[in-house]
Amino acid sequence: MTAITATPRAPARPRPARARDVLASEWIKLRSVRSTYLTLLFAAAAAVGVGYLVTHADATHWATMSASARAAFDPVGDSFSGLGLAQLAFGALGVLLMTSEYASGLIRTTFAAVPRRRAVLAAKAAVVGAVTLVAGEVIAFATFFAGQQALSTHHLEVTLAHPGALRGVLAAGFYLAVTAWVGLGVGALIRHTAGAITAMAGAVFLLPQIVHALPAPWDVTIGKYTLDLAAQQTIAQHPAPGYFGAGPSFLIVAAYAAAALAAAAFLITRRDA
Amino acid sequence: MARRDSRPRPGSLEGVTNYPKGTDMIEVCELTKRYGASVAVDGLSFAVRPGRVTGFLGPNGAGKSTTMRVILGLDAPTEGRAAVNGQRYQQLARPLHQAGALLDAGAVPGGRSARNHLRAIAASNGISARRVGEVLGLVGLEGAASRRVRGFSLGMKQRLGIAAALLGDPPVLMFDEPVNGLDPEGIHWIRGLLRQLAAEGRTVFVSSHLMSEMALTADHLVVIGRGRLIADTPIAEFVQQGSSSDVMVRTPRGGDLAGLLAASGAAVTAAPGGGLAITGLDAGQIGDLAAAHGIPLHELTPRHASLEEAYMELTRDHADYHAGLPEQSRKAA
Repeated sequence: MTAITATPRAPARPRPARARDVLASEWIKLRSVRSTYLTLLFAAAAAVGVGYLVTHADATHWATMSASARAAFDPVGDSFSGLGLAQLAFGALGVLLMTSEYASGLIRTTFAAVPRRRAVLAAKAAVVGAVTLVAGEVIAFATFFAGQQALSTHHLEVTLAHPGALRGVLAAGFYLAVTAWVGLGVGALIRHTAGAITAMAGAVFLLPQIVHALPAPWDVTIGKYTLDLAAQQTIAQHPAPGYFGAGPSFLIVAAYAAAALAAAAFLITRRDA
Repeated sequence: MARRDSRPRPGSLEGVTNYPKGTDMIEVCELTKRYGASVAVDGLSFAVRPGRVTGFLGPNGAGKSTTMRVILGLDAPTEGRAAVNGQRYQQLARPLHQAGALLDAGAVPGGRSARNHLRAIAASNGISARRVGEVLGLVGLEGAASRRVRGFSLGMKQRLGIAAALLGDPPVLMFDEPVNGLDPEGIHWIRGLLRQLAAEGRTVFVSSHLMSEMALTADHLVVIGRGRLIADTPIAEFVQQGSSSDVMVRTPRGGDLAGLLAASGAAVTAAPGGGLAITGLDAGQIGDLAAAHGIPLHELTPRHASLEEAYMELTRDHADYHAGLPEQSRKAA
């Protein structure tokens, strides 16, 4: 039988663990499964495709639109009509990064290799954050340009130089990354794929709808603090009446990601793997 | 490869504190783990030493896997502590260089190739991609390295799990039920591997619920049942105790025969359910002795308890679940 060691064994000389190593490990994990690419592709197709269809339809119906609808028309926000589907995919990507390890049992191998569990969570957040931020911005710009292309047939388009347009596009990409972070945090808290995706989707999509249905003024009073309605204000050219402006809304969106990851970091060392 | 030879008396718990603090070994001290109301591990103490294969034996549900998870810092002990190389596992820098473990061969995500799976684990401890290639060769998976794990047989997954444990070339190795699901060739391979790892001076800790398997690979046994330590003993001693044989004799003149047997140097005990259990003389000698004195014998049965039966006997009261066999059939030799 082959010897286990290639070279004579030196006494174990423990070098301190490096954050770089944990990052490298999580990077290999993320890029070595097909689902990562499929998820991002689906998100891109959904955001660009739905955005194009909706803007195209709005441009076609422009002639028959009411004056008030025309006044409220937001060419930037309109092109992001398919963002919800993309978000679902990004959120699932974040959830799966954590729950797939719990489902397969790999998490025990991971934590045995890196007992500092928060370092694992931080590395996952950094890796998925970097990937989804880049992918999210690419998707956001592609969605914007596709939508403006559709609107240009009726000369309704705006350029990035238009006030608030660039900010709205960047915010849409950022919102996608935030959804992945929220997914990662919720995945670490719930640890089961189906439950975590349901909770994530409920918090991102269902909760704002319920709040939106509340009687005035509660719909806005509470609604401006929900993730999705706050994110809408960062993308829209003008905030809806009663809602925060883009700046404060941006902070609310970021706070959701921070809160989800903080809760995950709090619990991850307190439970048996 | 020779390693330090300052081993304390096998199985002695005093050794845990006297030992030059836990070099290349696993120590479990007064460990208790409760899950809600149920107690998985109950005041367990033992040490696993280098240079030999230590079998961790117990019925299903005895607490073997829980103990291993606590050793690896995956589950927090309710009371007590566990240490690897003298430190809490969580305090180890780059732990894969100090301890490698195979807990559950099935715990591999299916979507990744074997090589990428190992590379991800290796990277976390600064282990090179070259070493990944080495361990793949070591377990005989180089041909399947690029295949996704989803299509692997259980035997291949066991090999992959062992490859992961060997990545850091650690002095301490733990395997939880490594032969489960293996074909005869795989079982043969793993026995050889365990023996080789121990011969290289490593601490090798292997759990099993099969005595027969441990009899073939282990040098030392830690036996637990219902979370409690039952035995911590060299396998030779366990075999000696376990494979004791005696002769069962029934006679209407028990008193007379017992006296004659005792005078001939045999040990005689009253067997439960009547009759005499005799050690020190074989069936032929006993029969001759009885015939010479005209004592009628109604039964003369040599009995051999196998290692498996010794283990069954030892753990019977500690098994959580066992089939409701009548007392007789469980005791039958």
